[in-house]
Amino acid sequence: MRIVCSPSGIIHPKLPKQGVLDLTNAGFEHIALELDWCCSGYELENFGKDPEPNPWEDDQDDSREHSETQTDHPNEEEWISVLDDPSEMERRFEQMIRVCHSKGLDVPVARAPYLLRETEREDLYETLLWLHKECIRYCKKVGCGFLIIPPPFFGNRCENEWEENRKYYLNLASAAYENQITILLPNQCRNQNGHLIRGVFSDAAIVANQIDQLNREACMETFHGFHEGKEGRQSNAFASDPIFGFCMDVGICSLCGQDMYQFAFALGNRVKAVILRDCDGQQESSLLPFSCVYQGQPKTDWLGLIRGLRQIGFDGDLLLDIRDTAFSFSPLLRPGLLALAQSTAQYMKWQIEIENLLKKYGSIVLFGAGNMCRNYMKCYGEQYPPLFTCDNNQARWGSRFCGLEIKPPEALKQLPDNCGIFICNIYYREIQQQLLDMGIQNIEFFNDEYMPSFHFDRLKGV
Amino acid sequence: MVPIGVQTKSIVFDSDPAVGFRLMKQAGFSCGDFSLNAYLTNLDLYQQKGNHFFDQSDEALQRFFAPHKQEAQKAGIQINQMHMPYPNYVPNGSKKLNDYLWNVVAPKSMKICWFFHCPYIVVHGFKLARNLGSEEAEWRQTEAFLHFLAPMAKEFGITICIENIYNQWGGHIVEGPCCNARVAAERIDRINSQYQAEVLGFCFDTGHGNLVGLDFEDFITTLGHRLKVLHIHDNDGIGDLHQIPFTFTKTRENTASTDWEGFIRGLKRIRFEGVLSFETAPVLTAFPEEMKEMVLTFLAGIGRHFAEKLSGTK
Repeated sequence: MRIVCSPSGIIHPKLPKQGVLDLTNAGFEHIALELDWCCSGYELENFGKDPEPNPWEDDQDDSREHSETQTDHPNEEEWISVLDDPSEMERRFEQMIRVCHSKGLDVPVARAPYLLRETEREDLYETLLWLHKECIRYCKKVGCGFLIIPPPFFGNRCENEWEENRKYYLNLASAAYENQITILLPNQCRNQNGHLIRGVFSDAAIVANQIDQLNREACMETFHGFHEGKEGRQSNAFASDPIFGFCMDVGICSLCGQDMYQFAFALGNRVKAVILRDCDGQQESSLLPFSCVYQGQPKTDWLGLIRGLRQIGFDGDLLLDIRDTAFSFSPLLRPGLLALAQSTAQYMKWQIEIENLLKKYGSIVLFGAGNMCRNYMKCYGEQYPPLFTCDNNQARWGSRFCGLEIKPPEALKQLPDNCGIFICNIYYREIQQQLLDMGIQNIEFFNDEYMPSFHFDRLKGV
Repeated sequence: MVPIGVQTKSIVFDSDPAVGFRLMKQAGFSCGDFSLNAYLTNLDLYQQKGNHFFDQSDEALQRFFAPHKQEAQKAGIQINQMHMPYPNYVPNGSKKLNDYLWNVVAPKSMKICWFFHCPYIVVHGFKLARNLGSEEAEWRQTEAFLHFLAPMAKEFGITICIENIYNQWGGHIVEGPCCNARVAAERIDRINSQYQAEVLGFCFDTGHGNLVGLDFEDFITTLGHRLKVLHIHDNDGIGDLHQIPFTFTKTRENTASTDWEGFIRGLKRIRFEGVLSFETAPVLTAFPEEMKEMVLTFLAGIGRHFAEKLSGTK
């Protein structure tokens, strides 16, 4: 599983060095390519329209004078749309990509430009198709294998939205095939007069079928093209490397109050990327996970997400999008924020892959004989049975807990080399230090906050 | 036109049921959703507090509710649906409490429903996904409960209606039991075919659906004929407020942020012929007591608007 950070709020494409430095210093190795930087939804919305004259605008000379005083600020630079100049896409990202590559940051996933949710444009089919094909070609050029392309038809704009979207995606299939890009369909919400509700691709069971249908149809079309001499991936590679997959946007799931376990479970291995972001469940935002809370409880169902991704053996890209948190932090604080963001994403990955950690050792011993030990035994005790557990409480040595003998910590010195010691107690670092001081190795942490299931009660006094 | 109903909570009182039922009729309702849940409230149950109301014998309960039944009939109000006390299982509750809810409260509720000649009783699915790990595991427990009640439902000619309900994370409402229409439809069909009777149906709650961003039209259409009962109310998309439809807006244009048009389109597509029933008791406590009749009349007016839209006369 790769951890990929969105550069939004962190890197400026024309002045990328500081943002890239902050990201690499925080330990990130992959960033996403936000292709809407070269063509925003607003630009698409206004494409081809004559600007309406504004009688209240200042004289041109005055505004130029004002802008000249601001040219050292990157946000004030002249902005050329890729719709006006196709070479702008490459020019826009050239420097950033070069700096990223020089610092060892690669770009495995990209997000394509998209129409505004409230768009009134119904005439942009050809423009979008051209733009998305350009994005596909550019992804290939920068070594990016996944491109997230939101559907062009949604909401009340189109009665037969799946049919229209199906045709659209199939029109992109051969470009994706030739450039070895997997197109990811993201779940969307719909704007019901200011209330964001479930939209296109938000019914996981239905979208799973739609992705399968797209892959079947794309396979037939591109296989035919392959035999006509086009270059690209081999047709027999479709099963393991399909043209279409899914990108699960956690923020959208949360806004739509969805059960993320069921959502991920219904999509299974079609989920190739997960956009990891927090929000308050009402307004769309991209915040650092675990930062949106009420009375100590997270507003996002992280339990359902972790359970779901664990259940489907997710091994794709975790795309961390914290643009709103990053924007709101001073650049002076950003290095600290990014270090925390990196730890948070690593923690998610660790939780999702927790069984891999258990599989790593030939045998397992637990440290702690309380509720966390009990939860371990409930969920993993049968598959990964510990040799014993230990506890610092001398009064419990020799007794049994959840079928395990409780031994003194000294017993850990007699363990075979390939035995992992899993600390089942929230005083992780304190116990870790105790074990390190004893010369113990193979120390690991266990955590029961996101278990596959829970007991209905908690034991007291253990 | 389809009939219009409202829940009896905060309208009909045990001290003089006649007054409440007459008020419902005067306001323009012809049906009532009998709030049996008011006799053992969810707030008490979640605090593991109970009362002894359902300890009474079947005969005593029938005697207790005889005036309600009689006065409803007299006023011309048909009790078309009722709400079983909920939850039927308290996750951290004692075995004694949960046994009582399952073995005493639920069957006695069925008998009271039968006593009222009420064809539908609404139940909440168990909220156990967090503990058991998945909605499927949670549903297995709910289904065991439904199988316990199904023979009685068949005998009494009652359809038990499962309702879309929710869970909360840090005050943020997310989907809970029965929020997947396709899955619910499959389960309803399977169970009904097992009993060779319509023992199970669905109650669509508009407010709960709005809170978890359901697509009303799609949800209702998927349920189709399995949709038997409605809980119509509105909210701001944040809290379960049980307010008057069309109340909430979120934009400067001030257009309704709940998809009432989708709601009507869905009902129209499935040719819904049930009762347009409002679950809006909190409205009545929010407004001054002196305005109760006016508020109920207004609600009934919204019901008529929906009914006219449904029948195509508007």
